[in-house]
Amino acid sequence: MNNPITIHVLLFGNARIHAQSDRVTLTLPAPATARSVLAELAIQLPQFASTSTSARLAVNQAFASDETPVHQGDEVALISLVGGG
Amino acid sequence: MALIVDGPLTELTERTALVERSARLRALDRGGKVGASVRFEGIVRRNEPDHDRAGEMRDLTALEYQTYDPMAERELTALANEIANRHQLISLIALHSRGRVEVGQISFVLTAAGTHRAETLAAIDEFISRLKRDIPIWKTLIWEPRFSLH
Repeated sequence: MNNPITIHVLLFGNARIHAQSDRVTLTLPAPATARSVLAELAIQLPQFASTSTSARLAVNQAFASDETPVHQGDEVALISLVGGG
Repeated sequence: MALIVDGPLTELTERTALVERSARLRALDRGGKVGASVRFEGIVRRNEPDHDRAGEMRDLTALEYQTYDPMAERELTALANEIANRHQLISLIALHSRGRVEVGQISFVLTAAGTHRAETLAAIDEFISRLKRDIPIWKTLIWEPRFSLH
């Protein structure tokens, strides 16, 4: 069995305010994907990362699909409830 | 093209003024193809609903824009290129603020030049809808204090 990996997910906007932190740290079984990261985030930050919302992840500064692999050390960001303009 | 700059997008922001002027001149220098030119400004409004208080309308002092850099500017540029191509525009330029922008100040400028009015206006509308859905920019509402001590 693979060792679990640790992922730091960057937070912005209301998710950052709600979590009172600019990131959350997750421990996940390897191999991890954007889907498994979002599923874990949905437990920790349900208002912002529920799979029914428009929440998406960016991995290494690019939008990720559900199947995008996530490795320890990748830059991961929660892109949820954006609102520019 | 697209650019994110610190603070409000006033005419005093030399960089944005130069970029806009240059884009406008390039668009006009196309042998008379430009038939429509539209400039949209997003301005920070004073009165907004406070969703933490059941939608009660309250006064703002400012908005604080947070961007995920450098992805935000890259995605903004990609969006400008995609929409300019789809609507066959001659020029589309987006400028967005980062950081604090006071009530009444400009936080977003979109300038489009096209052959005809319909596609130029449609491009502006589509760009703004996509901006609010797809670009990693967040705004925090800075409320006026509800009570003051004298």
